[in-house]
Amino acid sequence: MSLSPLATPATAQPTLRRALTPWGSFAWGYSDVGADIFVGLGLVLGAAAGASNIAFLFAGLVYVCVGLAYTELAAAYPVAGGGQYFVLRGLGDIFGFIAGWAVLLDFTIDIVLFAWSCIDYLSKLLPVIAFTVHPWTHFMIVFGVIAGLATLNIIGVRESSAFNEIVSGLDVVSETAILFFGFLFAFRPEILVHTMTVNWPTPFNLMNGTSLAIISFVGLESISQAAQETQKPASVIPRTSISLILTILIFALAYSNLALGLQPWTPIPPDQHGHAQALWQYLGSEENNGAAVQVLASLIPYYGALAALYVPLLGAILLLISSNSGVFGSSRIAYAMSQSQLLPSIFQRVHPRFRTPAVSIAVFCGFALVELVFAALPSLSPGFKDVYARLFRGESGITFLGDLYAFGAAASYSFVFIALIALRFKEPETPRRFKIPLNIPIRYRGTRVEFPLIGVIGWLGITSILVFTLITHSIGRFAGPGWLLCGLIAYVIYRRRKGLPVFGSQRHDWRKRQVQILKDAGELELMDEYLANVKRIDAERAGAKPA
Amino acid sequence: MKKFVRSEAYARTRLVTGTMFVLLGGLLLGQIVVRFGPDWHAIPAYVLGLALVLLGLNRWREYNMARRNR
Repeated sequence: MSLSPLATPATAQPTLRRALTPWGSFAWGYSDVGADIFVGLGLVLGAAAGASNIAFLFAGLVYVCVGLAYTELAAAYPVAGGGQYFVLRGLGDIFGFIAGWAVLLDFTIDIVLFAWSCIDYLSKLLPVIAFTVHPWTHFMIVFGVIAGLATLNIIGVRESSAFNEIVSGLDVVSETAILFFGFLFAFRPEILVHTMTVNWPTPFNLMNGTSLAIISFVGLESISQAAQETQKPASVIPRTSISLILTILIFALAYSNLALGLQPWTPIPPDQHGHAQALWQYLGSEENNGAAVQVLASLIPYYGALAALYVPLLGAILLLISSNSGVFGSSRIAYAMSQSQLLPSIFQRVHPRFRTPAVSIAVFCGFALVELVFAALPSLSPGFKDVYARLFRGESGITFLGDLYAFGAAASYSFVFIALIALRFKEPETPRRFKIPLNIPIRYRGTRVEFPLIGVIGWLGITSILVFTLITHSIGRFAGPGWLLCGLIAYVIYRRRKGLPVFGSQRHDWRKRQVQILKDAGELELMDEYLANVKRIDAERAGAKPA
Repeated sequence: MKKFVRSEAYARTRLVTGTMFVLLGGLLLGQIVVRFGPDWHAIPAYVLGLALVLLGLNRWREYNMARRNR
């Protein structure tokens, strides 16, 4: 983006320029989470069939809870680091590491998944690069895109914030136009009800679809990660987050309902065996699931002819930005974790010439390339098809990546909910400009705290999605926990070598840190409120103690 | 872009689009009630209508907050 938090020597304290306006903050989040529906729609339709809108609804409601939790935490603790920082502060070092490591998995998948889907969208204009036509060509181009993004990030070239804002604005207008014309010209409620009734999936497929639907909502994290660069974060973040949450929920529900109830103006081509297929089957097929929004838009009467031309390009640009945010985000999280001594200091090392975290970028892009190879292997070498069929129920390509993405997101979000609840108890003195609704006031250690009911509901929701992922996703079941386990082993070795507590936490002066955070954010009124709260709560606690 | 985002015209545009969202959401909810009534097939559409209304109301709230701060 336009800011360069890491462009400082390793020894210096990094300083972030607060340049993000409300629209900039919205665009930052939208360029990440807005791209998800381009990938998620086809995958969910392929799995949840006639219940895709229900799958999106369930995942969407969980996402609203996740979004509210992030909004409260990011407005209260406006620092870079996002979920990993909140968990570190609320639950301690080891949980901070687990949450951060799960987010890192998501970011590396983000890099591959969106680069892959970017090429899928472009292949609608250039069929020669389609995955189903020339898998090797597709693989090489995705490989090249990831390597290119890594190089650009190492030499310090990032897309400008203004470019981000323009693409996000164009995309909101374009997606609204697709939905407007789709509902106006081609939506038939009778078809929607018929599709839902006739094509209702098995419980297994519904769980699979619901766990995939969560990937359409991953990325709100970006707003909280950019909190340290946002002007007046305590008031701006709640505004932009609420708008973003509702916008993304509306898009996901509208697209899934449209896909199930659309009357296409041109006949749907038969499948590869020559059988007639419904629209949702066509969109969820291997041929189209990577570019479902474009295919859906092209089937809308009149407008579809125009949409078929520009949606692939706009979608590809947004997906490329999202892929880049994976490269950028992973290096930033690794840097923040390294500063908290959760990862070795090598991840803080900056390139002597370009002053970017070259090691972090190279390592996590390297992971992304390994994931790409695993995803593409069965299509590149037919010998692996049988192996994948036996081990992973034949899941490969974009489904493989979607599996891991869902696992990483569900795992990290479940910790964020627990951190939200813990911080309400541990730090009641922190002023919260935005507070999640539905709280139960209780007394804890002589002071009044508010127990967030939504936190519990959200945790139950995201944990059920995590369970769905583990039950239905063969790859998510092995590779996800495997990633966490490998990370934990490395964490234990690193902490032992450094003489730091492995299961406990280092001493942190969070109060001093919070004053500094609010001061840096320019939230001086909040800082005064915080200091007054500290005095009051200390007095209350002292009074509650028996003499 | 930044100039436009800070201008009064932008705030008014958001007020207009907010009103459109409220009307659209209300229309959708009305249509669903008339056509389907309390049918479980329509739950996602009800939530969609509600989300549109909330998005519109959120814009109204922001507009009012911005006016009060001015």
